[in-house]
Amino acid sequence: MTTPAITADAPARALQREATPPWLMYGVLFGLLGALSIVLWGPIGVSGTYPRFIGALFRVFDPAYAEANPYLVKMGSLFKPETFLVVGLLIGGLIGARANREKAPKCEYTRAGETNERKRYRDAFIGGFLIVFGARIAGGCTSGHIISGMTQLSISGFIFAAGVFATGILTAKTLRAPRAGVPA
Amino acid sequence: MTASIFALLIGVGMGFFIQRVKASSPAMIARNLRLENLSVIKFMALTIAVGSVATYLIAQFAPGAMHFDIKPAYVVGVLVGGLVFGVGFGLGGYCPGTCVVGIGEGRRDAWAAILGGVFGALVFTLVYTVAIAPLVKLVDLGKLTLPEVLHLPSLGVAIAMGVAFMVVLKLLPTEVKKA
Repeated sequence: MTTPAITADAPARALQREATPPWLMYGVLFGLLGALSIVLWGPIGVSGTYPRFIGALFRVFDPAYAEANPYLVKMGSLFKPETFLVVGLLIGGLIGARANREKAPKCEYTRAGETNERKRYRDAFIGGFLIVFGARIAGGCTSGHIISGMTQLSISGFIFAAGVFATGILTAKTLRAPRAGVPA
Repeated sequence: MTASIFALLIGVGMGFFIQRVKASSPAMIARNLRLENLSVIKFMALTIAVGSVATYLIAQFAPGAMHFDIKPAYVVGVLVGGLVFGVGFGLGGYCPGTCVVGIGEGRRDAWAAILGGVFGALVFTLVYTVAIAPLVKLVDLGKLTLPEVLHLPSLGVAIAMGVAFMVVLKLLPTEVKKA
């Protein structure tokens, strides 16, 4: 029973050994880039740019509120290196997709067997809301807390990562089964 | 100004790497969180392992050059924030940075995620004083690091964590068979 499985797996394993898997190569490069970032200007972090963007909007449309809200005052101006980092992410994504002549699907599903585009946009919107809201409660996201935080060996990074993977895995596993009564 | 240029260039590199390992693909994130494929989790763990050793190695020789920024460990807020984040991560398949990369790639659902994120930041800003500020600072351990807790040198802890991560990476399969 086990023999066919092993022989079927063997070529795939041999192939994996020959070519460096992307996660290995880019993981090393990303790690070195993260260290370089700490030397050059500071640890990477993305989620703070969202409220700073909100602050910039308030400063245009309701400057009095922008000055009265302690959180917007605390987060400060949008003209920070972090904002440029986010602009860089956009450019990097564009170059990455172009370099490999890849056309990213306009819409990808996180629920198994789902094809409803409108529901996908709804999920992405709610997901987007929760990641930024959650990240702002914690004071950082995947980049600021998990990558930069754990790189600097900060306790907060380990706590945040534990929380993220606990509910992340639970949510993804729950969504895996197509819901009863909903055609796949 | 110089810092902003460095940040921009580092962002371009990060965005490129994230795109190449498919960390900006919600379907790939969903597979990773279902533990069917571990490539993105491995990418993150390796990034941390290499980054930590490199950072504290450089700090050993040029401590004055480092721009460390340790975030405070206010245990309740950080944990609750992580739990909320995880639900959004599992549902949408994006994090605040990868949806920006996704827009660069031409993903349309990334726009929905970023709009949700901007709306989330707005609501957070509005409720901060009333609902967030009193809650999050409970059990604040301050800017605490693992080497401080263990009373061990930072570089040693970084190397130990790096080696431990790499052993686990080596042992775990990347493509896990579906149950």
